[in-house]
Amino acid sequence: MANRVSLTIDGKVVQAPEGTNLIDAASLAGVHIPNLCYLKGMRPVGACRLCLVDVEGAKAPVIACNSKVKEGMKVVTGTEKIRETRKFIIDLILSMHPLDCMTCTKAGVCRLQGYAYDFGIKESTFTRKKFGYPTDEANPFIKRDPEYCILCSRCVRACKEQGTDVLEFMGRGVGAKVMTAGDRPLQESGCTFCGSCVDACPVNALLEADRWRKGREWDYETVNSVCLLCGNGCDITVSTKDGSVQKVNAGAVEGSVEKYICAYGRFGFDCIEADTRVTAPLKRVGGELKETTWEDALEIVAKKLKKGGSASSFITTAGILNEDALALKGLATALKSKNIATTASLYADAESLTKSQPADLDGADLIVLVGLNPSQWQRALPALDAGIRRRVSRGAKLIVINSSETKLSEAATLNLKGDEADILKGLAKAVVERGAPAEGPWADKALKAAVSGAVSSEEMDKAGEMFNAAKSPVIFASPALFGASANLTLIKGAAVAVPIESNARGVALMGLMDGAMTYKEMVSRGSMTLLYTIGEVPLRKRPGVDFLIVQNSHMTELATQADIVLPSAAFLESAGTMADYMGRLKYLPCAVEPQGEALPHRDIFIGLGKALGVSIKKPTEAEVKRAMKTKAKPSLSPFEKVKGLEVEPGELIESINASVINGSRLLWLKEAQPAAV
Amino acid sequence: MTEEKEKKPEDIKKKAEALKCPVGKALYYMEEFLSGPMCGRCFPCSMGAYEARERLKKVTDGRGAEADIRALRRIALYMADASLCKKGKDTARFLLDWMDTGVYDEHVKGRCPAVECKGLIKYMIIPGKCVMCGDCKDACKFDAIAGEKKIAGGRAPHLSGYLPFEIRQVRCTKCGECIKVCPAEAIEAGSVTPAENIVATAGTR
Repeated sequence: MANRVSLTIDGKVVQAPEGTNLIDAASLAGVHIPNLCYLKGMRPVGACRLCLVDVEGAKAPVIACNSKVKEGMKVVTGTEKIRETRKFIIDLILSMHPLDCMTCTKAGVCRLQGYAYDFGIKESTFTRKKFGYPTDEANPFIKRDPEYCILCSRCVRACKEQGTDVLEFMGRGVGAKVMTAGDRPLQESGCTFCGSCVDACPVNALLEADRWRKGREWDYETVNSVCLLCGNGCDITVSTKDGSVQKVNAGAVEGSVEKYICAYGRFGFDCIEADTRVTAPLKRVGGELKETTWEDALEIVAKKLKKGGSASSFITTAGILNEDALALKGLATALKSKNIATTASLYADAESLTKSQPADLDGADLIVLVGLNPSQWQRALPALDAGIRRRVSRGAKLIVINSSETKLSEAATLNLKGDEADILKGLAKAVVERGAPAEGPWADKALKAAVSGAVSSEEMDKAGEMFNAAKSPVIFASPALFGASANLTLIKGAAVAVPIESNARGVALMGLMDGAMTYKEMVSRGSMTLLYTIGEVPLRKRPGVDFLIVQNSHMTELATQADIVLPSAAFLESAGTMADYMGRLKYLPCAVEPQGEALPHRDIFIGLGKALGVSIKKPTEAEVKRAMKTKAKPSLSPFEKVKGLEVEPGELIESINASVINGSRLLWLKEAQPAAV
Repeated sequence: MTEEKEKKPEDIKKKAEALKCPVGKALYYMEEFLSGPMCGRCFPCSMGAYEARERLKKVTDGRGAEADIRALRRIALYMADASLCKKGKDTARFLLDWMDTGVYDEHVKGRCPAVECKGLIKYMIIPGKCVMCGDCKDACKFDAIAGEKKIAGGRAPHLSGYLPFEIRQVRCTKCGECIKVCPAEAIEAGSVTPAENIVATAGTR
C-alpha cells in the first residue's frame, strides 16, 4: 500500500496515496477539476489546460493532471481568474464545435456540453469555424465524425497505448484532424473495432455506429456485468432501454489497464435478439423439431434421464455461471452420473484452474507470459493482450516465453523462444542462483534440487535477474504450463492459469471437473444412451447417441440434429456469479429478461429435478463462496507441460461463440474485414 | 517534409517589426507563427492564435469592430496565462505589446495611420508626377491600371491628351508591384475615406 499524504483542496482535507495527481486527489474530496484531455492511468499531456489550479506558494497556476500531491499542499481549484481562463478555453473550443446538442446522441454525457453549461456559454463569442470533414460510417461498429472532434487526443492515446495504434493526428492546431493512415476507412486501417476510442471520446466524434436516435444516456438503465464470451471475463456496463440492450461499454474501474473490451464484448449483444434464438422448447415429432410446452419438454427429458440413469452424459461449456454449474452438478448427482465433461478440459486440467492464484495486473512490475499468445487482432484473449501492452507502456517489463511466434513479443522486454518448460526451468535456476539471500525462499532445497539439471543461457540469466529485481511479478501461463510456472511463485509473485472460456475457473471450482471425463474422451466414445449438452459446445455433428438434448440460447447446427431443444437464457439475461481468470468473484445481474420462454440453465435443471422427483436446491451465494475458497498454496510441480491440452484459442473462441457472431453485426467482421495482421 | 530549422517566435517578431503598422505586424506574426513554430500541443495557444489571426484579418481588412479588439485582448491575456510553453506565452505578450499602441481603435474607425493595412488604404497615381511610361500597367498582374502610354516627348503628361493612368480600385490588391517599378515615384498609398471603406467591404462584412 502506498503511503498517504495529506493535503487541502478547496479547504477540504484529503488523504491521497503518494503519487496521485491533483485531479484524482480532488475527486477523492468530491471536487471536480474540469479537464478534457486527461485519461486516468495514462501519462498526462496537459493539452486542454482546463485543469489549471492555484497551489499555495507557486508562482503561477499549475495543471492538476501533471501535479502530484505533496504533504501539506494547499490547492484552490477555482479562483475567479482560473474560472475565466477555463471559460475562455471552452469558448474557443465551442467556436469549432457544432452546436446541435438538441439532436446530438452524446447530449447528457458530453463533457463539452457539461462545461459549456457550467460556464454559461450559450454560443461561442469567437468566430465560427467549420471544416466540412466527411463522416466515416463505412462500418457497422464505430462512427467517426471529425466535425465534432475537439482535438483532445484521448482516442489517439488510448489506441496507441493498447498497441492497436490506428489513429493519428494529421496537421496541428485548429486544422488538425484525427485520422487513420492515409485517411482510409477504419476497416482498412487495421482497426480491431474494440471501441476503446469510443469509450475515450468526450464528445460525439467517436460513437457506436447504430446509436443515432436510439436513446440517450438518460433514457438508459445501466448495470455492471461481465462479458462471458472468452476467458478474459471483462467487466462491462450494459445500457438497456425498453428491455433491450442498447450498448455495452468497458466496465473496469477508471484508470485500470483492464478497462478494455473487444468487438465481441461491445457489439455481440445483437445476438440476444437474433432470429436464431430458441424461444420455446422444441421436440422432434416425425423427424421435425416442433414447438412444445415446458411441461411437456421437461417430462420427456425427465423420463429419458430416469431411463439413462447413471449412464446419462453431460457436456457443458465453461461459459455457464457458477449457480448453473452447481445446479448441473446437483442434477448429475441425483442421477448418480459421473459422465460430465466440460469444454474447459480441451485446454485445462482441473488442477491448474483451481490452483491459479489471484493477481493484480495493475500492480505488476514484471509480467511473464508463458505459452500464451493473446491477440487483439485474432480476438484470442484480447483484453489480456491490451492490458499487458498498457501495463508495459506504463513502465512494467514483459518476458515472453513461447515455443512459437507470438504477436505480443513485439512489446516484450525479453523474448525467450523454445520449449517453455525447459525455459521455465532455466529461468528458475537463474532466479535461485542469482537470488542473493542465502535464506528465505531462494534457499528452498526442493526447488534447488529441481532446477539443478537445467540448461542455462545468457537470456535466461537476464530473465532471472529481471525476476529477482521485480517487486510483484505476475506470470500468465497457459493452463498446461501452470504447474511449471507456479514453481517461480515459491520465490515471489503470482501465477495465473489463463483459460479460454470465461468461467472455466468457476466451473472447475464448483466441482464440475472433479473426477469428470474430458471433452475429448466424451465425444470419442462410440455410443451413448443419452447426451445432454449445455451451452454452445463446439460439436457440429451429432455423436453416436440414442437421445440428444441440446440446451442452448440459439439454434445451433447441433441443435438442429437434437431430439429435444431446451431454450436457455443468453448472456446478460441471467443473474449469477462467475470467477474470472484472476480469481475474482464477479456478479452478473439480469440486464434484460430472457427472450420468449427461455430460462436460466439452473432453472431448467431445477425443473427437471422436480419432474424427476428429486429436489435440486437453488444454489446460493454462500454455496458459491464456499466452493470458491481454495487452499491454493504454491507447491513444487515438475517442470513439464501437461499434454493433451493443445487447442487453438482463436478457433475455439470463435466456435463457442458461433451463434453470437452469426447473430450479430460481428458477422460483418468475418465477411468484410479480411483477417487483419 | 524538409528538415528546415524551425523559426523562432523572436525571429518572426523581428521580421514583423519591419512593418510600420502594429496591426499589420500582429497579423504577419500570427500567420508566420501558425504556419511555423506553433506546435498545437495545447488548446489556448493553438486555438487562440488561430482565432487571433481571424480577428486581425478582419481588422486589417477594415471589417473590424470594437468586439474584435476586445476579443483580441482577451485572447492575449488568457493565452499568456494558460499556454503550455514559452512560445504561446511570448506570442500573447507580443500581441499585447502591439495592442498597447492605441492604433487598433483607429483601425476600427477605418484608418490605418501607417497606411499599410490593405483594407484601409488605396493606391493612387499622382497625375502631376506620372511620366506615362506604362511600366506600372505592365507590372500589374491584376489588370488594375488603366491608361495610355505616351510615345514621344511633348507637353506635360497630364496635359498631353492621352488617357491618363489611373488605378481601378475594385481590381487593385495593393500588392505594391506598381510602386516598385514606377520611375517617378508617382504612385502612393493613402487612407480611404469612411465612405469608400463601406463600399470596398460591402458584402464581406
